[in-house]
Amino acid sequence: MKLVLNGSFEDSGHEELGHPERPERTSAALLGVDDLHLGDDLVRAPMYAATRAELMRVHAGTYLDELGAFCYAGGGDIDEDTYATYDSWSVAQHAAGAGLAVVQELQRLGDGVGFVVTRPPGHHALADRGMGFCLLNNIAISAAALVAQGERVLIVDWDVHHGNGTQAIFWNQPDVMYVSTHQSPLFPGSGAAYEIGGMNALGSTINIPVPPGATGDVVRRAIDDVATPSIAAFEPTWVLVSAGFDSHRDDPMADLALTSGDFAAMARTIARFAPRAGRFAMFLEGGYELNALRTSVAASLAAVLESPYSAEAESFGGPGAQQVQSAREERLVALRIAEEAATQGDYS
Amino acid sequence: MTRMLSTIAVGFDGSPDAKTAVRWAFNLAVQVGANVAVVHAVGMLGRLDQHDTVQSLETSISQLCDDAGLDGSRVQLHVANGDACSVLLRMADDPIAADLLVVGSRGQGKHPGLLLGSTSLELAEHTTVPLVIVPSL
Repeated sequence: MKLVLNGSFEDSGHEELGHPERPERTSAALLGVDDLHLGDDLVRAPMYAATRAELMRVHAGTYLDELGAFCYAGGGDIDEDTYATYDSWSVAQHAAGAGLAVVQELQRLGDGVGFVVTRPPGHHALADRGMGFCLLNNIAISAAALVAQGERVLIVDWDVHHGNGTQAIFWNQPDVMYVSTHQSPLFPGSGAAYEIGGMNALGSTINIPVPPGATGDVVRRAIDDVATPSIAAFEPTWVLVSAGFDSHRDDPMADLALTSGDFAAMARTIARFAPRAGRFAMFLEGGYELNALRTSVAASLAAVLESPYSAEAESFGGPGAQQVQSAREERLVALRIAEEAATQGDYS
Repeated sequence: MTRMLSTIAVGFDGSPDAKTAVRWAFNLAVQVGANVAVVHAVGMLGRLDQHDTVQSLETSISQLCDDAGLDGSRVQLHVANGDACSVLLRMADDPIAADLLVVGSRGQGKHPGLLLGSTSLELAEHTTVPLVIVPSL
């Protein structure tokens, strides 16, 4: 099977000395792709900068204006985590455009798997604000483009942090299902199981928080037991993954204990939700330990491409089974309460 | 009828502007007999040096409390994961149920294109309880 990779890695210039969200991350992810030796099965989508109209499916025009002006004035710190430089506006436009280009190339081929290697990452970016290292919400921009074409999009977010931006953007959008497994407690503090979507999309947000130390078996069980029945009922026509590899056990930004083999297993499972080939793409989000990032990218792509790769063994035995069960029950209760409230016009 | 102030939540990241805001909140608490929740948001980077930061904040709060003549038992430090805006907004909900939010006009995030720090602006847009933005001195 072919791997469709974005052709643009124009991330130079978006860099702050000592910041973990750094250009070497893309290099590490690309080394992971190289490790698969795909030859002619590697296809590069054209370089593309998202247009204002494409960005505005997700972001407020005032925010885009402000971010662009801020960058061209020299940039600086947006908050304690998030920076922008003079080049960041252009870099972010290309990061958002890379997703659109990969999706378009998959549509042209009618086959293959997409991998969008971009930075800055996107899943924390809100409609009107950047945060958590993110400026524009790359995966949401691609999902919104697909929805505009009449598709039903499943987004699975296995980054160690909850994708608060993506959740908020599609909170009331019934054509997008957002599923997140993430460490809790951890930044950004959202992503409780009772957060289930807005009135127009009740149940289309699925959050399964897991505790520090959770291993791959716990996260895989979260997807299998809590999310899979809802995903099957949703019947997605496209599947996108917010592929953050900071839930790897070696990553310094959090405390989950996943291995590259766990990412492979999750990728294999999630790719099966796509109705056919050419409708599955992974978007790079977090992942700050470069070797863990490289091996996890290689392992997860190999799993969906059915390419040979020797990944770490899947991990077992960490805490969290009880929390997954609690999340399932909490979600069901929240759904029941919300449905009752919705019938009385008292839920937003 | 004017509602009594029971709990004031004030954002604190250790910056000079945040200290000004905490000082203002403590003085108000002395006058009205309110409790104060001093709120520190831990971002993605913050967790890397969280222990040292919290120790430093506790020292600052203790000093500011003494300066204002506020009974230390009425002050509690809350350390929560998230961006400063979201964390402060959550303080209006249970269990803190703050009925006033206080922030400095700029925190550690600097946004030269704006009059106020982005946290203050976001709070002003989304808060459900009164908000005081204490100007820089």
